[in-house]
Amino acid sequence: MLANILVTTLVNAAAYAMLAVGFSLIFGVGRIINLAHTAYYMLAGFSIYTLVATAGCPAAPAVLLTIALITVIAVLCYKLLIDPMREHETTVLIITIALALVFQELMLKYFGGQFRSVPSLARGFFVILGVQVTRQHALTCMVLVLILGAVWLLLQKTRLGLAIRATAQDKEVANLMGMDVSRIAAITAAISAALAATAGALVAPLNILEPHMWLHPLTIILAIVVLGGLGSIKGSILGAVIIALSESLVIFLLPQGSFLKGAFSLLIMIIVLLIRPEGLFGVALEGER
Amino acid sequence: MNTRQLVTVFLLALFCFGMILLAGCARQEEEGNVIKIGVAGPMQFIHGQHHMLGAQMAADEINDAGGIKVGDDYYTIELVKIDTNELLSVDDASSAVEKAIAQDNIDLLVGTIRTEAAVAIQELMMDHQKIYITCGASFKEMADKVSQDYDRYKYWFRLTPLNGELLAKASLLLLQHVGQVMKDDYGIETPKVAVVCEEAAAGDTLAAVAQQVIPSFGMEVAGVWRPSPQATDMTAELAAIRDSGAQIIYTYLSSSGGVTYARQWGELKIPAASVGINVEAQSKGFIEATDNYGNYEFTLNTYAPVEITEKTIKWYEDFIAKAGEFPTYNAGTYDALYIYKEAVERAGTLDLDAVIEEMEKTRFTSACGIQAFDENHDVIWGPEYVTAVGTQWQDGELKCVWPYDWQGITYPGTVKYQLPPWVEEALQK
Amino acid sequence: MIRDMMGRIYRNFKGEILVLPGRTLALLVGLAIFIAPLLTRDIYILRIITLTSIFAVFAASWDLLSGFVGQLNLGHALFFGVAAYTSAMLNLYLKLPPLLTIPLGAIAAVAAGLAIGIPCLRLKGQYLSLATLAFPIILKGVVYIFKQYTGGELGVSGISRLAGSRLAECYIALLLGVSLCLLIWKITDSKLGLIFHAIREDEIAARASGINTTAYKLLAFCLSGLFAGIAGGFYAHYMRLAGPSMLDVMLSFQAIIWTIFGGIATVYGAVTGVVILFPLMEVMRAFPEIRMLFFAVTIVIVLRFMPEGVAPWFLDRVEKECPRCKERNAFTRRNCRVCRTLLIAGKEVSAGTEGQTGHPTD
Repeated sequence: MLANILVTTLVNAAAYAMLAVGFSLIFGVGRIINLAHTAYYMLAGFSIYTLVATAGCPAAPAVLLTIALITVIAVLCYKLLIDPMREHETTVLIITIALALVFQELMLKYFGGQFRSVPSLARGFFVILGVQVTRQHALTCMVLVLILGAVWLLLQKTRLGLAIRATAQDKEVANLMGMDVSRIAAITAAISAALAATAGALVAPLNILEPHMWLHPLTIILAIVVLGGLGSIKGSILGAVIIALSESLVIFLLPQGSFLKGAFSLLIMIIVLLIRPEGLFGVALEGER
Repeated sequence: MNTRQLVTVFLLALFCFGMILLAGCARQEEEGNVIKIGVAGPMQFIHGQHHMLGAQMAADEINDAGGIKVGDDYYTIELVKIDTNELLSVDDASSAVEKAIAQDNIDLLVGTIRTEAAVAIQELMMDHQKIYITCGASFKEMADKVSQDYDRYKYWFRLTPLNGELLAKASLLLLQHVGQVMKDDYGIETPKVAVVCEEAAAGDTLAAVAQQVIPSFGMEVAGVWRPSPQATDMTAELAAIRDSGAQIIYTYLSSSGGVTYARQWGELKIPAASVGINVEAQSKGFIEATDNYGNYEFTLNTYAPVEITEKTIKWYEDFIAKAGEFPTYNAGTYDALYIYKEAVERAGTLDLDAVIEEMEKTRFTSACGIQAFDENHDVIWGPEYVTAVGTQWQDGELKCVWPYDWQGITYPGTVKYQLPPWVEEALQK
Repeated sequence: MIRDMMGRIYRNFKGEILVLPGRTLALLVGLAIFIAPLLTRDIYILRIITLTSIFAVFAASWDLLSGFVGQLNLGHALFFGVAAYTSAMLNLYLKLPPLLTIPLGAIAAVAAGLAIGIPCLRLKGQYLSLATLAFPIILKGVVYIFKQYTGGELGVSGISRLAGSRLAECYIALLLGVSLCLLIWKITDSKLGLIFHAIREDEIAARASGINTTAYKLLAFCLSGLFAGIAGGFYAHYMRLAGPSMLDVMLSFQAIIWTIFGGIATVYGAVTGVVILFPLMEVMRAFPEIRMLFFAVTIVIVLRFMPEGVAPWFLDRVEKECPRCKERNAFTRRNCRVCRTLLIAGKEVSAGTEGQTGHPTD
C-alpha cells in the first residue's frame, strides 16, 4: 500500500505541478489571477482530440501544433482583454472567469456534452514496486518532469528568466532598471499558457474530455498555488506533491470517503495558510501597494 | 457632448423597452385543439437529446395518425422543449419548468434526469396540479409520496428507469449471474465482491442494498469504495481493489466516472469481472471513449437489440437511425406520450381525474417490456412486466446477455455472458 | 402641520431624487417593478422579481465586504448556503416558522462570518481571496458526510412556504430587498463606511490613525454574512429546498459577476448588475442554445469597455460632479445646484476632473 500511495502521488503531482507552475508564473509577474488558466488546458485537450482522433494527425506534431495554437489564443486574449484592464484587479478576475465560460460554451456547441477520450500514445501497463502503472501515466510523468526542468533552467539561467524573476519580485524597480515590464508580462503569459497547453496535451489521454473539465482542476490548482506561495515555482511544485499525496492518502486509507479528496486537499491548504499566511515559499505582499 | 449623452440615455431606454417587449412576446397564446407537452431535460447533453427525440418520434407518429382522440375531437400534440440545464444548475431547472407552466401553458410534463432537480420539479408540478411523468430519475422516495399524500401527488408517474431499490435488485441479479458463471466454470465457491458506488443518492441505496444482499448470494464483500461521480482518475481505487483480492467488482456509476473506471479497469487488466450499473456503458460512444478498453463491461440497461417485445427491434433501429446513438432510459418519453394518449382516449375526456384513473390502469406494450404502474404510480418490475436487460460489450459491440434463463425468460437474440480473458486467466491460477 | 410635512417630503423628493437622472431612473425602474406584479398574474414573472430581489441583497452584501473593505471574498456562497441549510433544517426538524428560521439562519451566517473571518484576517490580498474560496467546498464535503440530516445531494426539502400566495411572497421579497439594499447603502455612506474605505485604500495608514482595523474587518465579515444570510434563508424558503448547489463555486462567482458588472464599491452597482443580468438571463431562456455563451460574451465585452461597471459608466454620462463642492448634478445643468459654480463643459477638462474625483481604481 505504501508503494501504491507513493506511485499514485508522483503521477498526479506531475500533472498538477505543470498547471500550477504556469498559473503561478503569470501571477508572480502580472499579479493576475487567471481563472481561465485551466480552460486553456481544456482547449488543448479538445485540440489534441480533433487532430489525433478525427483528423488522423500523428501524435508528436499534434502536440506541438496544439501548444502553438493555444499559446496564440492565450496571448491574443491577454493582449486584447486582460492587459488593458490590469489596474482593475477584480475586473480582470471576472473577465477571466467569463473567458473560461466562453471557451466552455464554444466547445459545448461544437463537440456536445458527451464524454470523450484521446487515444493514448503508449498502451498497456508495467509493474513497478508491485504497483501497476500505465505506460501513458509513466510517459506523461517523465515528459512533465523534463519540461518542468526546462522551465526551471529558463528561469534560473537565462537573461529572460532573470528578467521574469526580477519583475515578479518588484515590478517598479525592474521597470526602473530599464526592463520592459509589460513585454515581460506578455511573454510570461505566453509561457504560462504554453505550460497549460502542454499539460492539457499530455494529460488529455489520461482524462475524460468534456467542456466542463476545467472547473475541478481549477480549485485544486488554486489550493496548490496558495499552499506553495503565490508566485513561487518551488512552492507550486511542492504544493502539487502535498495535494497529490493527501488525495492518495484519502483514497487508500478512507475508501468509503474517496469523494472527499477535494475537500480534504482544501482543508490542508487552509491549515497551512493559518500557520504560514503567505504559503510555504510565498513573497510577503505586505507593503506592496 | 450633450447629444452623445442623450443618445446613451435613449439607447438605454430602448434596451429596457426591448427587454420588456421580449418578455411579453415570449408568451404566445395559441388556440385550437392542441395538447401541449413539455419535454424537460438538459438539452445540451445526450440525456436531454434522448428525452426530446423519444418524445418527438411519438408526437410525429401520433399527429400523423390524426392526433389524440378525445370524445369526437382530435387533438394534435405540440411539444415544448424545456432546456433545464439541470446537470449544472438545479435552480435553472425549476425556473425553466415554471416558465413552461406559466407562459407556454403546458398540459403535461415528461423527462428530467437529475434526482435533485426531479424532486424540485415534482413539487412544482404538484403545486400546479399537472401530470408529470418522470423519465430518467430513479429516486424511490418520489414514489412513496404518492401513497403518503395521494391527493397532492396523484399527478406524478415514473416510467423509466426502475426506482433505486428495483435497480439494485435487478443489477444484483446480474452480479449473481456472474457469480454463478464463476462457480460453474471455475469452481469458485465464495467469490469476493468489491462494491464501487459513486457518491450520490442512488449510490447510497445501491451500496447499502448490495452490502446486505451479497452475503446471501454466498459471496463476500471485499470492500466498499465511494468515488465522486465525476472522478477523473480511479487508478488508486483500482489498485486498492486489486490488493483486496476481489474477483468481481459491482459498480454503480452514472456519470463520467464510469468511463474513467472502465478505461482504467481494462487497461490495468484488474483481475475482477465488472458488473452492475454503468450508465455511460449504455451509449454508443463508450468503446471509443474508453479507448477500446471498455470491452467486457457488463451493465444493466433498459433497451437492447433483442426481442423483448415484438416492438423492440424495429423501434431500436428507428431510434438509432434518427439519433445515431443507442436509446437510453431517457428515451422512455416515447412511451410516456403513448401511455398518456391511450389513457386520454380511454377516458374520452381531458378531465385530469379521469385521465389519471385510466393511467393507473395502464398495461402498455413498449420496446422495453410491458409497462404498468403500481399503487405508488411507479413502474412495475418483474418477469411479466419490465424486466430490464443486462448488456455486455463484446468485441466492440453491445450484446444482450441477461435475462439468461431467469424465471424462464431468455429474449430471442440473447448471447452468453463472457468473462474477460485476463479474469479467466487469474481464476485458473 | 400635515401639509407642512407633505411639503417637506415633496421638497426632499424634488431636491434629492428628481434633480439627479440616475436616482430618477432608479426610482422609475423601482416603481415599475413594484407595480408589475399587480398587472400580471404570471407566476413566472413573479418568480423573476422575487429572485431578483433576493439576489440583489446577496450581491450587495458581497459588495459591502469585498468592494468597500477590499477583502475580496471568493466564497460568498458560504454565507448563503449556511443560512439556507440552517433555516431549512430548523424549519423541517423543529417546525419553526419562517419568521424565526430566516433570522436564525442569518445569525448562523454571522457565526460563519466570524468563524472564517478570525483565521482569515491573518491573510492578505489574494491569499485571503483564495482561502475563502475553499470554505464552501469544504462545507459541501461536510454536507455529504452528514447526509442523514442534510439529505446529501438532494438537500433538505419539504420545508414550509413563506406566505400563502406567490403574490405575497413576491411583495415580501421586494420590500425586504429594497429595505436591505437601502440599509447596506446607508451603512456604506455612514462613518462606518468611511472607515471601511480607509481600510481598503491603505490599511497601514488606517491603523496608524488609530483605527482598530482587525475589529472593523471582522465587523465587515459579520455584516456581510448577516445580509447574505437573510438572502439565503429567504431563498431556501422560497424554493422550499436547501441543497448543495447553494454552496457551489459558481454561486460565489455569480455574486462577483453581478457586482462587478454593475460597478464595484457602490452598492447601487451590485443591485443594478442583478436587475439587468438576472432578468436578461431569463429572457434568454427563449434561446437556450446560446444562453450561457451570450452571458459570458456580454460580460467580457461590457467589462472590456466599462471596466468600472455599468452603473458608474452610466452615471458619468448623465451626471456631472461639481468641481468645487463635489455635489452631483444632472448633465443638463450649467451651474451647480448647490454652490452655483459654473460646471465646465468640454471634454478635456471634464476628463481631468473625472480623473481626480472618479472612483478609486485599485
